[in-house]
Amino acid sequence: MTVERGDNILEISSLSIGYDNTTVVSGIDLHFKRGQLVCILGPNGAGKTTLLRVLSRHLKPISGKIVLKGRELSSYTQLELARVMAVVLTERVAPPLFSVYQFVALGRYPYTDFLGRLKPDDDKAVQDALALVGADMLSQRDFQGLSDGERQKVLLARALCQGPEVLILDEPTAHLDLKHRLEVMGILRNLTRERGILVIASLHDVDVAAKVADVVVMVKDGKITEWGPPEEVLKAKKVESLYELENAVFSSKLGTLELPAKGQGPQVFVVGGNGEGAGVMRLLAKKGFKVSTGVLFKNDLDYFVARALGANILSQEPSGSISRDMLLRAEKLLSNCLFLVDALPVGIEAFKGNQRLVERARELGIEVVSKDVDLLNLEHLIKDASRVTFKPRLCTAKEARNDFFD
Amino acid sequence: MKPAVTFSLLLILVIALSLVNLVYGGVSIPFERLLDILAHQGDGVDSIILWDIRLPRAIATILGGAILSVSGLLLQVYFRNPVVGPFILGISSGATLMVSLVMLTTLFLKLPFHSPYITTAFGMVGSFLVVAVVVAVASRVKSGITLLIVGLMVGYMCHSVTSILMAFAEKQQIKGFVLWQLGSFNGFKWDEIGLLFMAGVPLMIMAYGLSKPLNALLLGEDYALSMGIDVRKTRMALLFVACALAGLITALAGPVAFIGLAVPHMARMIFATSDNRILIPGVILTGALVTSLCDLVARNLLSPVELPLSAITAFFGAPVVISLLMKRRVKL
Repeated sequence: MTVERGDNILEISSLSIGYDNTTVVSGIDLHFKRGQLVCILGPNGAGKTTLLRVLSRHLKPISGKIVLKGRELSSYTQLELARVMAVVLTERVAPPLFSVYQFVALGRYPYTDFLGRLKPDDDKAVQDALALVGADMLSQRDFQGLSDGERQKVLLARALCQGPEVLILDEPTAHLDLKHRLEVMGILRNLTRERGILVIASLHDVDVAAKVADVVVMVKDGKITEWGPPEEVLKAKKVESLYELENAVFSSKLGTLELPAKGQGPQVFVVGGNGEGAGVMRLLAKKGFKVSTGVLFKNDLDYFVARALGANILSQEPSGSISRDMLLRAEKLLSNCLFLVDALPVGIEAFKGNQRLVERARELGIEVVSKDVDLLNLEHLIKDASRVTFKPRLCTAKEARNDFFD
Repeated sequence: MKPAVTFSLLLILVIALSLVNLVYGGVSIPFERLLDILAHQGDGVDSIILWDIRLPRAIATILGGAILSVSGLLLQVYFRNPVVGPFILGISSGATLMVSLVMLTTLFLKLPFHSPYITTAFGMVGSFLVVAVVVAVASRVKSGITLLIVGLMVGYMCHSVTSILMAFAEKQQIKGFVLWQLGSFNGFKWDEIGLLFMAGVPLMIMAYGLSKPLNALLLGEDYALSMGIDVRKTRMALLFVACALAGLITALAGPVAFIGLAVPHMARMIFATSDNRILIPGVILTGALVTSLCDLVARNLLSPVELPLSAITAFFGAPVVISLLMKRRVKL
């Protein structure tokens, strides 16, 4: 099969969708190409499922036009549509006494004769689909006995053996554990790359969307607020306003959400670099400490994590070594800190300068903790701190941002 | 076991049981004599018993059991609910009400033709009316329990109207009606068998023709639609066949409980599948077998008193439903 790229397989113009006479989303203009993985994002109740149901023709649009492969969607017969488009729904299906193979074979419905007998072609399509989702081992199992993750893969296989050019999935990763969530998204990505299928899925996880999608569509407040490649669309402010996040920060560099926690009380200094400090900073932020860190280059992973966590950062443009000026400023910050975590990368010349901070802390009588020490057991450090009161509190995204950009 | 083997076994059992039904009874007919009578119709007493009583009854039992079971299977797929059947959903009661209008009142005495056609037609109309009500409710409420309760309530309403009609009816009419209402394949005449055959067999063939979309409907309407099924048309056809079958058999044999509900489950267990292409012929054979067995018990258990057929079917059918619920295979 040759994958035609470039042409729009699905074009949506001035579409309004909703139920009865209540419009849920209006003014929708989107177009997608073959081989794209499209993720639809938005808060609950924004109309993601409604949009998918209109695209799969389970629901009539209120107005507007949908063109699939150059033909209006409404002009397809049900059978023609079934040969172009397949769906995976959230509805839980569990028909009794079905083997996985029989269940997947139902996907051949649009191709089989009037009694639904499988010809060799059909059997091959079923086996291919099972192999494609990595479920060939399951084929003789009872469908009802599958785990959530296995069931989702089998549902996907059923849709695939329908031979679709467009695959529509409603929340394909809901109720799945991490392993299966990644597996399912990986399968979807392969489908777009290898088979040129247009995959449209509604998703809850922004971070997953940022990593796998070719196109993201943000649905909120009755309209499409943004759409395009995640690299352009998934900017911190847009994501935070999409979900009205108050306690979390989206980092487009990391493609993930962080919970900035600005502790009221104890300040802690983390000397990191080269990604060594990221884990420690997350832990400290979670425990409610106010984190200061430095001196970091602005291309360091630690830098992005620290930003997302709302830490005080002393940073500089990437260059040969740490500047003296920054080190002096770091020493000033250090004097207010309860303790210092030494997470210096070993044997990297560029970070040598930061060694000075560790020594300075010792001189000031500030406890130095190695990051390999059991950091989870921080209580004794806090108890020693008679000069501070410990009140962990989450800061808002706005505060966290103001903090970076001061 | 391959389905073909199971089909053959079931078929042999049905034939064997029917022969027992022909031989065994108040007057026993030796097996050699039976073949003789079947081959050349004589005019002895045993010949009359066989040709006018037992043979029509055995055939009606087979057809009736098959028809009720197919109807039950279709309804279970339609409502995606394993504990529905023509009797539970009030369909039989609807048919009963309409039949009572014919049997107990003089409204239709002036019509030039009479039973079995008029009774059958009314029975079917009654079952369609009840289903119309149940479907209207089912489209608004998804809960399986609500559906069953609505079916029961509609059934009760039909019963109450029926009993009011009975209060006003004449004694002689009541006697016939009460006997009919117990449900029995006794007293079938050959023209009634003809009707059962001419209407029932095409309807069951139609049901088999629907088995492919029926399989897709097991996944629910949304998936079925996405696989290219005209869900509306399929549902209409499905309901039409199920109701016509239930109305047909109720009009002719009276309401027979539990066959329509329990037999599809037995067939699923025997064939270990939900594939309707196997289940439809499967329930036809299983239904014929189970109903023949129940009729044999009803006729001979406390002979010479003949027990009502529904008493036997309910006695064996109700535990089936209870065990389904206990096993939690059934979600209401």
